[in-house]
Amino acid sequence: MSSSDEDYVADSDDDAGANQPSAKHGTRSSGPVKASGDAGGRKRAAWEDIQRSWDTIVEGADGSINSAVEGLREAGKRKRLLKDTTPLQRGIIRHLILIIDLSFAMVEKDLRPTRYLLTIRYASEFVTEYFEQNPISQLGIIGMRDGIAVRISDMSGNPTEHIEKLKGLREQQGQGNPSLQNALEMSRAALFHAPSHGTREILIIYGALLSSDPGDIHETIQSLITDRIRVSVVGLAAQVAICAELCKSTNAGDEGNYSVALNEQHFRELVMAITTPPVTRTKKQSQSSLLMMGFPSRTLGSGKTMSFCACHSKLSRGGYLCSRCNSKVCSLPAECPACGLTLILSTHLARSYHHLFPLKNWIEVPWSVAWSENSKACFSCLSKFPEIPKDVGADGEPRRKPGEHKGTSESSRYACEVCGNHFCIDCDVFAHEVAHNCPGCQGDTRAGEKDGIVRDGARGDGDVVMVG
Amino acid sequence: MDRVDGTDHYEGDKQGPGPSLLVIVLDTNPHAWALLNPTLPLSKAISNLLVFINAHLASHNANQVAVVASHCHRSVWLYPRPEPPSEDVEMKDNAPALNDANKYRPFALIEDSLLTSLRELISTTTENDISTTNTTQMAGSLTLALTYINKATLLFSDSNVTSEPMSTTLEGPENTTGLQSRILVISVSGDLAHQYIPIMNTTFAAQRMRVPIDILKLAGDTVFLQQASDTTKGIYMQLRNPQGLLQYLMMAFLPDQTSRKNLVAPTQEVVDFRAACFCHRKVVDVGFVCSICLSIFCSPSEGAICLTCSTHLALGDYGSKPAVVPRKKKKKRKLNGGVGTPSSRGGTPMPNE
Ligand SMILES: [Zn+2]
Ligand SMILES: [Zn+2]
Ligand SMILES: [Zn+2]
Ligand SMILES: [Zn+2]
Ligand SMILES: [Zn+2]
Ligand SMILES: [Zn+2]
Repeated sequence: MSSSDEDYVADSDDDAGANQPSAKHGTRSSGPVKASGDAGGRKRAAWEDIQRSWDTIVEGADGSINSAVEGLREAGKRKRLLKDTTPLQRGIIRHLILIIDLSFAMVEKDLRPTRYLLTIRYASEFVTEYFEQNPISQLGIIGMRDGIAVRISDMSGNPTEHIEKLKGLREQQGQGNPSLQNALEMSRAALFHAPSHGTREILIIYGALLSSDPGDIHETIQSLITDRIRVSVVGLAAQVAICAELCKSTNAGDEGNYSVALNEQHFRELVMAITTPPVTRTKKQSQSSLLMMGFPSRTLGSGKTMSFCACHSKLSRGGYLCSRCNSKVCSLPAECPACGLTLILSTHLARSYHHLFPLKNWIEVPWSVAWSENSKACFSCLSKFPEIPKDVGADGEPRRKPGEHKGTSESSRYACEVCGNHFCIDCDVFAHEVAHNCPGCQGDTRAGEKDGIVRDGARGDGDVVMVG
Repeated sequence: MDRVDGTDHYEGDKQGPGPSLLVIVLDTNPHAWALLNPTLPLSKAISNLLVFINAHLASHNANQVAVVASHCHRSVWLYPRPEPPSEDVEMKDNAPALNDANKYRPFALIEDSLLTSLRELISTTTENDISTTNTTQMAGSLTLALTYINKATLLFSDSNVTSEPMSTTLEGPENTTGLQSRILVISVSGDLAHQYIPIMNTTFAAQRMRVPIDILKLAGDTVFLQQASDTTKGIYMQLRNPQGLLQYLMMAFLPDQTSRKNLVAPTQEVVDFRAACFCHRKVVDVGFVCSICLSIFCSPSEGAICLTCSTHLALGDYGSKPAVVPRKKKKKRKLNGGVGTPSSRGGTPMPNE
């Protein structure tokens, strides 16, 4: 704790101008924590990182804390927002089975609120993040309870489906013994059809220290190796030898894929780390290339006669017709069995385009500008801004509100630099985190441009435009 | 966690479904309406639409409505009306319609406001505006609609049971009792290929918020609106007889999400999943995809360089499998408020930046 004073000084840099003298006072240590026994990786335990929310509150001029709370909320939203999104490599097609322990061991409350609920929450977050990072990948979820493997959701590329199914689990509770072997065999079957150009992975969240298996699990591990399936395990209790062996042998001797969560935060980090595409250990680190892909249309085929799909020779009505040869496949992404064209849903690709053309951060609007432009309401949601104070002149430096936070706008207005419109904080957060469009830029193209291509150019993909 | 704070207890108390917010995006593309005029003039469509809006408002006392116009070069709020920029333009001349004793006042208010905004929009449209384009600002209008829904949802959850205040939209709200929102697009224009990326962005935003986008197509055909309604589980209808607009509106589009669970909604027989290429904004069914950034091109570019991420791409090997590539170096974080340069992809900077 001796370092906490310096820590505070360093921190107060960021919060310059913020009236929060007692913030984080003495509860935060930045020095290296004496690791209690186990390995590096550990940063600080949960109990060392307490932030008391009441420490950061300052009363406003009128004696109420409303403005301070409002300011803090806004600062929080804004802080999350100003993080730059780095375009990552997203071309890889992954197939992953998430195995969740739903056994008696998950009733434990060492992770709050319980292991069970926390795991389900992180699993839902994992699903969302996984599809953000790997737009054209597939995922399936399997649970372990009562000594058997339960199919929770089938292999598919639709995050909402998985999240719905996970939500349904919340009503239940962990019970019975987990069976690692049963779950692995079921995942092996689910991954059997995964095309060869993608990865095959299994992520296990394992709370128990035992596994009740019907047969020899080493045989299962052998067949996993033959099937090129890699297994990662996140343990919740302690190291288990069979998990270590499982990870080691399916990852070509690399033991980095087995870790045990120390606390809630660490658990989340471990799970989220799996959303990044894995490294390949194949011989040739193949170079980047232009892939020819087809975007087939989906037909329901109701009223028509049934026909065989080209992939499994099953009778079905609906399906996707290959855009080159018109063979029918039942699900995407797939490789056309007839002509070999890679078929994908264009919507899967489009999910990641906002990373390519990120929306620029909006700037804070000072009172003087708000005054001169007489902005009264948010451009997009039409909610009213706070009144412009009367004592602001065109020249006059306006009085500062108490409890101002850095990064938030004094006038609660945020302006897009391209179109110049003013927006409220909610629309700012929404436009940057969810919509990835500027309502103003998309909403008015009269400002000199001739067509939509140039329009996009204003958002930063200048090169595409200028070439064309 | 519901069990802990007893929210299910409240849910049990509530009767019936919650109120719903309907945001209507009206495509007012002058070209398309001119073509449609012999069968369904805009004036008739508007009066049909007003009847539909009234029906929506009448079905729940807390139902809300908002209308945004997707015009040829801009998206404009029709209802609620944005505040006039200067104070002196006050609406003191209350239209006589508002004093009509035979009309339910909320209906009259909306009608009056909608017609006033629409007249204003049409009178401020210059000949130049019309001659320079034949499409509509659909992406902008959808973005406006979504921001409005986002705000309304936040306000609604604030004013009602204090749920978790932060980031309700980000984790996908699972509100069954809260405000249910949906978007109805009345579309008359075709070809929106030049807005491919913004439209897809709004589609995924709507999917994340679980806001269905219903499409009522009076004329033209766009691939991307089809995809939008399919992705968000909305209704897509292409009318063969636009004269019957009101009938379609009332039968297919009036039920909210809760009622739709018990109905068989009209679906699309075939969903077109084609994409627009980044180089010419052409709609393609077979394209070339950069394995790094997933950009789509209609033909291999000369020089074998990806136009978006400037990576050198191996060519000629068209049938090859997607490859794993080492991740690119992290972009340096750009300081907010600094003179913006386009992203550091090494592209050509825009002259005005
Ligand atoms: Zn098949
Ligand atoms: Zn084919
Ligand atoms: Zn706003
Ligand atoms: Zn803008
Ligand atoms: Zn092209
Ligand atoms: Zn590229």
